[in-house]
Amino acid sequence: MKKVLIFIVFGLLVSTNLWAQDETAPQPQVKDKPVRFAWESGMLIDNQTSYIPTVKTLELVIQHKFGDISNGHSDLWGIYAPSNNIRLGLNYVVANNVQVGWGISKKNMYNDFNAKWTILEQTRNNTIPVFVTLYGNLALDGSSDETFGTVYKFSDRISYFSQLIVGRKVTEWFSVQGAVSFAHANSTPAEHDHDRIGLHVNGRIKVRPQGSIICTYDAPLKIDKISEQRPEWDNHPKPGLTFGYEVSTSTHAFQIFMGNSTGLVPQDNLMNNFNKIDKDNFAIGFTITRLWSF
Amino acid sequence: MKKYTNVFVLLMVVISTGLLLSFATVQDKKDGGPWNVPEKYKTMQNAHNGDEGLVKIGKMHYIKHCKSCHGGDGLGDGPKAASMKTKMNSFKSAEFQSQKDGVIYYQSFIGRDEMPNFESKIPDDEDRWAVVNYLRTLK
Repeated sequence: MKKVLIFIVFGLLVSTNLWAQDETAPQPQVKDKPVRFAWESGMLIDNQTSYIPTVKTLELVIQHKFGDISNGHSDLWGIYAPSNNIRLGLNYVVANNVQVGWGISKKNMYNDFNAKWTILEQTRNNTIPVFVTLYGNLALDGSSDETFGTVYKFSDRISYFSQLIVGRKVTEWFSVQGAVSFAHANSTPAEHDHDRIGLHVNGRIKVRPQGSIICTYDAPLKIDKISEQRPEWDNHPKPGLTFGYEVSTSTHAFQIFMGNSTGLVPQDNLMNNFNKIDKDNFAIGFTITRLWSF
Repeated sequence: MKKYTNVFVLLMVVISTGLLLSFATVQDKKDGGPWNVPEKYKTMQNAHNGDEGLVKIGKMHYIKHCKSCHGGDGLGDGPKAASMKTKMNSFKSAEFQSQKDGVIYYQSFIGRDEMPNFESKIPDDEDRWAVVNYLRTLK
């Protein structure tokens, strides 16, 4: 599995160079500008995109995942279920293509401090054929001390997540990105790994000037060489599949979706999603972003 | 019969009040008055004048940033227009279209009062001219 992972990451990097070599040299006097409208928001459901607003922009993020739909109309397909999750976040763009943020979630009362840097932007004449973005966060689990066992240390609350995103606006209506991520939690339940590597594929199909079909797929990898568990252990985190619809305006992006993961902090989704991709495990959710420029 | 008369009178009062209030709402919208456009913008040249390839880009920006107030056809009748205190003029009007490109640029991106500044939302100058070019197609 490790070889497969190395092959995928290496393939992403090599393919970037291959695309670049296919292009004719740009006119030296004309600056090749970044492509327009690759993504409408910095978030795609519960994943990050390469989009970062202009400098000195404040972004409010409201994320919500309701309970699963298995109870049908008795709890209005999960909307009235108690097992929901909410995250409120604030992001601020401190420099060109650099964003820092903070958020707090209902589940485990995670406080997450995050940063995102879009290193490369895809350009209109393919001088740079892809977006390349780094994202990372550090989260503090706000659960009670007893949750972490009899010998509690503050460091038990810490988990972190880092991600390399490579994306491309393929056509005027289709954008896609792939990502590889690494998550670590200092404290986990028994028979859970402390480290997890994941692969992600996210896409957007624009069907109207302000409307798009959106989709994310998150795959936690089972890599025996970094697993602390015995080979017979079979309770590994499950992949997450989410699809929805996005409407965007000048200052808002509104995404409504259905998916099988309950987390809103990425390491929680990667390490603690044990819901299979099954009809009854799907839950309705939404993500709203609101921008203010200063 | 008297009961029906009372209902009819009540209905007429409600309709009349509604009509009067609708007039009041329209009349409450103030005229923004003439724009105080700096000389720099009055003489500004549209570097992308006649670039038809940019019209589609301008339309995309218009739909995303302008349509909610100014309406799909630029008549000033978007969903948010009703809550504005200032009267919005139609982009189709001869008065609007007779303005220089630089003046429209100033009005669109620098703004004043209820018309917000859009410089940070559309940072690329080429894209701003694309919007101006698109507004020209609305006449």
